[in-house]
Formats: sequence, structure tokens, C-alpha cells
Amino acid sequence: MKLYRSLIYRELRLTRKRIVLMLLLFFLLALLLLIPVFIGGFSDAAESDESPPISILLLAGTIALTNGIMAGTNNGLQKADISSGWKQYSFVLPTTAKQQALSDMLVKLMLIIFFGLLSAAYCLIFSLAAHYNAIELILNIYLCTAAAVMLVDVAYSYIMMFAKDKNDLAVIGVIAFLGAGALLHVADIFFDIKLPDKSEKDGAVISDAAFNRFAAGLGSVKTTLCALAAIAVICAMYYLVMWRSHERREP
Amino acid sequence: MNAYENAIEIKGVTKRYDGFTLDNISFDVPKGCIMGFIGQNGAGKTTTIRSLLHITDIDGGEISLLGLDHIKDERSIKNRIAVVFDELPFHDVFTAGDMAKIFEGMYPEGDNAAYQQYLERFQLPMKKKIGQFSKGMKMKLQIACALSHNAELLVMDEATTGLDPVVRDEILHIFMEYLQNGERSILMSSHITSDLEKIADMVTFIDRGKILLTGYKDEIIEQHGIIKCDKEKIAEIDPEDIVSIRTNNFGAEVMVSDRENAGYKYRDCVIDPASLDDIMLYYVHRDAKEWS
Repeated sequence: MKLYRSLIYRELRLTRKRIVLMLLLFFLLALLLLIPVFIGGFSDAAESDESPPISILLLAGTIALTNGIMAGTNNGLQKADISSGWKQYSFVLPTTAKQQALSDMLVKLMLIIFFGLLSAAYCLIFSLAAHYNAIELILNIYLCTAAAVMLVDVAYSYIMMFAKDKNDLAVIGVIAFLGAGALLHVADIFFDIKLPDKSEKDGAVISDAAFNRFAAGLGSVKTTLCALAAIAVICAMYYLVMWRSHERREP
Repeated sequence: MNAYENAIEIKGVTKRYDGFTLDNISFDVPKGCIMGFIGQNGAGKTTTIRSLLHITDIDGGEISLLGLDHIKDERSIKNRIAVVFDELPFHDVFTAGDMAKIFEGMYPEGDNAAYQQYLERFQLPMKKKIGQFSKGMKMKLQIACALSHNAELLVMDEATTGLDPVVRDEILHIFMEYLQNGERSILMSSHITSDLEKIADMVTFIDRGKILLTGYKDEIIEQHGIIKCDKEKIAEIDPEDIVSIRTNNFGAEVMVSDRENAGYKYRDCVIDPASLDDIMLYYVHRDAKEWS
């Protein structure tokens, strides 16, 4: 336990500035997005049918989306460790690759839970102000985004493990960035993430019926369970990648 | 704790890189000894240290540290050794206080009080960021961290390089104290031979990936000598006795590997004692035989 406390302390201490910046961004964004709600622009939200109005989806979704990205994104620790020489030093420490990977994953999970709680706090205030229960919606957008960004991070971290020192960082960093981009492209082909070719008659990109279906699906318990399962699987993948990364000896 | 005679045993270790091979090297570091590991830049010192610490995999041979296999018993070994690199491998944003918290959980034998004592002794601030430390302060911090978990073996890779003589002397003094109980050992790679002449009990000399000399420092120094003579005299010296010859405008300096024997054979020549620096220099030029 003492070992994990040390490892987690190191990671959090090193990424403290980044976390503070992300928090600042969250508070600013939350403030900005809550102002129209408090002014009273959504008093009719509660009177609408079961699917949320697009304005609610946008205001609630923006925060969830941003938090998901912040929680799932790469924290730059691998890069910082290579650059400072800690990665090489870690080979002479008594910690095992598995222990280090577990601590990496725990930090990731902590961030996901932390930003999840922030999103939940935001949606509570939002729901009270807008008189509309957006909890499942916000939570699901958050979980889905975090899962997607984490998946990209897994690809990035996998490629980054091939960098051994400062000199390799620039080249491997670009390759990792392109690799993560390629993963998104593959996801795009696989899930066919495309906007409809033809717009609706009234000029809308998506029809009301399609939007309602999408919003209802996004806010369902089924989506929550799927997103949680995806996060669990991706966490396991992240652990395996980090384990391999810590175990890999220099050439 | 297992009993062992040699803190480090390296047998026939080979590691191949593109353009460089660590070629079947073998040497031991007996328990309680300071072994100086010398050689010019690129000779293979760091590769040897990286191999024995399992930072890199070896292509052949055997390595044991503290009587244990360096891969099979890696975790157990790493609880009992400490390593100091030429550059501080800690992040600039950390403070000495942060490092105490980080190492606290990593080493079961960690001694925070000892760490604090070293910090006080080295006059290192607890709350100042490491990035603002001078090179000497960074090295002292690394040594404080290394010596604070009761390690039985200290491995140092060019730890005194780039430090001023006052700091170097202070650090060497700490190492002498560290060895006092006779249970601890040090492997210290350096190309600053004066440091090793001060503190090393044994010396291993590596060049172009091969071990040229290994043994007790005093014996090595006693065995070698430099004959100062005219250039014409060189022809009378048995090539078997010569390591290499340095020529200058005034004559020649010939290094011999058996000073006592040379003293009998070449009675009319003056044979000066050789320093580690000389030995390194003459051995590096052994293939050229004559150099200036």
C-alpha cells in the first residue's frame, strides 16, 4: 500500500499543474454554460416530451464532452519520464513493471472518477436550474467520451514506449500522434461516423425524429452499462500497455 | 540475507550494438571493495553498467549481484543496491521533500532520518525545486537518495564527472564512510582517474569493449613503469615488455607492464612509476605502439 501511495503521489505531483489547469477550464466552462440556464431560457424544458431539447443537449453535453476528454487524455507522464531520465532510473528501482502499470491505471481511474463527480455535480446544478433531469445524459456523454479518448491514449502510450531517451521523443511523439489519429480514422470507418449527406427539408442537418432517437439512446441505462464496460476493457488494455512499457528494456 | 564473496560477478558478458560490441568481458567486485571502472569515453563502461543493472538485455554471459542472478532475482537485488547516474534522473518540478515521499514507499529498508541527515550535511534545501539546483547539488541529492536505504552495493556511472574538486572530494569522503563496516561495496565508473587513485581498492580497465586489466589498484600501479630513454634505445627493449611508446622531441617514454623485471633488464634506464592516467593512456595506444 505504501508503495502505491508513493507511486501515485509521484504521478499526481508531476501532473498537478495540468490537473489545476483542467479544473480551471471546467469551472470557466461550467460558469459560462450555466449563465443562460439561470437567466431562464430553458423554463419550458420540463414541459417537452421525453427527449431533451437540443439546447439542453448542447449545454449539458459540452461540459460532459470536455470533462471526458480531460479525464481520458494522455497526462504526458511517459514523455516527462523519458525526458528526465526517470524511465531509465525506474529500471534500477525495486518496483516491478506490474506495480508501476497498476499505479498508472489507478491514477487514470482516479481522474475518470474525479471528473465524473465534477460532471455529476454540474448536472445536478444544471438539472435544478433547467428543471430538466439531464443526469443520465451528461453521465453517458462523459463516459462515452472518456472511453473514446482513453482508447486513443492506449494507442499513443503503446507507441511512446519505443522512445528510450530525449532524442527519440520528437520522432516517436509524432509517430504516436499519427498512430492515435489513425486509430480515430479506423474508428470512423468502422462505426461509419458520418453526417447525413442530405439535409432535412427545413435545412436541419439531422431530423427531429433522428435526433430524438439519438438523444433517447444516449440517455438510456443501456448506454451507461455499455460505456462502463468499454471503460473497464480499455482500462485493462491500458494496464497491459503500461505493463509492457515498464517491462521493456532498452535496446 | 544470502552469503556472498563477490558483490558483482560478471562472466563472459557480451552485448552487441551496431558498431560496438562489449566483448566477452569478465571481472569481479569483491565484497567490501571499491572497484574503479576506467576507460575512455565510448569504451563500454556505461554499457557494462546498464547490462549488470538489467537496463538492457545481454546477448551472452552471466551476471550476479550480491550472489543473486541479475534477472531472476532482480527485485530482491534492487532492494539492496543503489545507483547514481551522471545526470540527475529526477523531474525538475520535484523538491528534496517530494523525493523523500516518493522513495519512502519504494524501499522497505528506507531510512528517512538518514536521508534528512544527508540533506542537512549537504546543505540541500527541502522545499526548493530540483530544477533550481546546481550540478553539484543535484549530484548530492542523488547520492543522498542512494545512501538512504542501507544499500549493500552502490553502482555509480560517471557520478563525479563535471563536479568541481571541492564537491568531488566531499563526495569521495562520503563513499569512504559508507564502506566503513566492510559489508558494502562500490563499483564506480569514471574517466577521472585521480578520484579512483584516491579511493579505489581495485581497478578494472576497459577499452573498445574489452577488459584489458583488472585487479588491485596498487598492484597494477606497481607492475607498470615508464622507461625514459633516447629513441635509439627503444630497439634494445624487448617488444614483449612494451605496452606502447610515446615519442617526443627529447626522446621516448616506454610503458612496460613488468616494472621489476624491466629494472633488471634495462639497468641503464630510468624507470618512473606510472599513474592510472598513464596506464590508461598507454594502453589506449597499444595498437599504434609508437605515438606522440
